[in-house]
Parts: sequence; C-alpha cells; structure tokens
Amino acid sequence: MAGRVLDAGLHLLDRQLVDKDGRLAGKVDDLELTFPEGGGPPQVTAILAGPGALSRRLGGRFGAWLEAVANRLRDGDDDHPARIPFAVVKQIGSAIDLSVAKAELETDRLEAWTRDHLIGHLPGARDAPE
Amino acid sequence: MRLSDLLGAEVVDQAGRSAGRVHDVRLVQDGPLIGGFGAGLRLDGLIVGRRAVGARLGYERRDMGGPLLVKLAAGWLHHDGRYVAWDRVRAIEPDRIHISGLISDLPEPEPSQ
Repeated sequence: MAGRVLDAGLHLLDRQLVDKDGRLAGKVDDLELTFPEGGGPPQVTAILAGPGALSRRLGGRFGAWLEAVANRLRDGDDDHPARIPFAVVKQIGSAIDLSVAKAELETDRLEAWTRDHLIGHLPGARDAPE
Repeated sequence: MRLSDLLGAEVVDQAGRSAGRVHDVRLVQDGPLIGGFGAGLRLDGLIVGRRAVGARLGYERRDMGGPLLVKLAAGWLHHDGRYVAWDRVRAIEPDRIHISGLISDLPEPEPSQ
C-alpha cells in the first residue's frame, strides 16, 4: 500500500467539517462510494451530511422519523442528503478542512430554510445583532 | 453505494459461515486524482469481527496504544478481528456481504496509520 491508509469509521465519520473561512459546516454523517466505470474497487466521491444522511446510519423508527423530518424541512421533492463532493476536501485531520465557503455547500440549505421559514418568523427575531 | 450500506453488515464466507459484522472500512489514498485533495480514497477492504465494543475507538488494530487495562480488555474482545480485502467481496445484499474463500483464510487487520 503506497498511499495514506485511513479507516472510514475511525478517521472520517462524525468529524467536524470546517469551511475555507474557518466556519463550522456540519459533520461527516456518511460517505458516497462509487464504482469506477472501467471497473475496480469503489472510490469515495462525496461526503454526505445532515439529518438525511445520519438517519440511515441510525436506522429503526427513530432513523425513519428523522429522515421524514429532514425531507419535510426541505423544498419540493428534494429528498437526498446534503452532498459535498470530495474534490472540495483540502485536508483530513482531527477535522475535515474544505476549500469552499459554507454558503456554497448543500449542508447550508437546511440551516438557511430553518432561518428563513421558522426562526425569522419568531417575535423579536429581527432584533438580534449581526 | 453508501458507507452505511457496508457498516454493520454480516460477512458470510463461501461455506455460509459468518465472520461477524463490518466494524470499519479501510481506505487507501492512491485512487484517481480528485480535485484539490490529490489522489482519491480507494476502498481497500473491510475490518470484520464478532464483537463491536471498542472497534470505533481504534482498539481493533494491534498497534493501538492507550491505557493498558483498556487495551487488554479490547484485545480480548477483538481477538477474532479479521480483514477482508475488497477483491474477495462477491456480492453485497442488504445487511449481508458474501465473500470468496473461508473465514480461516482471513488475516488479522494491519494497523491503519
């Protein structure tokens, strides 16, 4: 084995994602594995994050409930978990450093939706300082 | 396919005997180049065992340091840990993975880092 050796569960799952500006951008809840077109072993092609990805790992009734809530909180028929292409991963350490801003990630969708549709409608929500 | 499709799945050899469940999935960074990350992560194999306690703490690897008592307890719990190279995987079904060969042919997991 010539390359760096990592164990997915030990070194990747549940690690913090940090965007290019040092902002927290969610956690690694699952990985997308893709079989190359020309054959050979699967490659890691994306990090999956958010409740839609975590629900499958949890399984059972709680997992199903969490997935239903995550789907309800997203727009339209968009029912896939937030996907972060592995091409934007810069470094894997105690956290996963990304080369893009948090706002460019799909993980930001649920947070933005919750802010605009739920938190923003609470009395006094617009009084908070920036 | 997702990582979660593999984790926890039962591994069965060609004689139909169970080698336990997938506790972790080993990746090696020598795949095709992928954006700014460099070489991509290739799935190399599965770390399999009958007992799950401590596997995610790293105590399934032989060279793991740490408190002696915890290490001894984890060593006893994981004496049956085995490594399944990916080229031995024959079929992936929901919650079950079929491999070629027999459980007795499977080596112990090598240290990861």
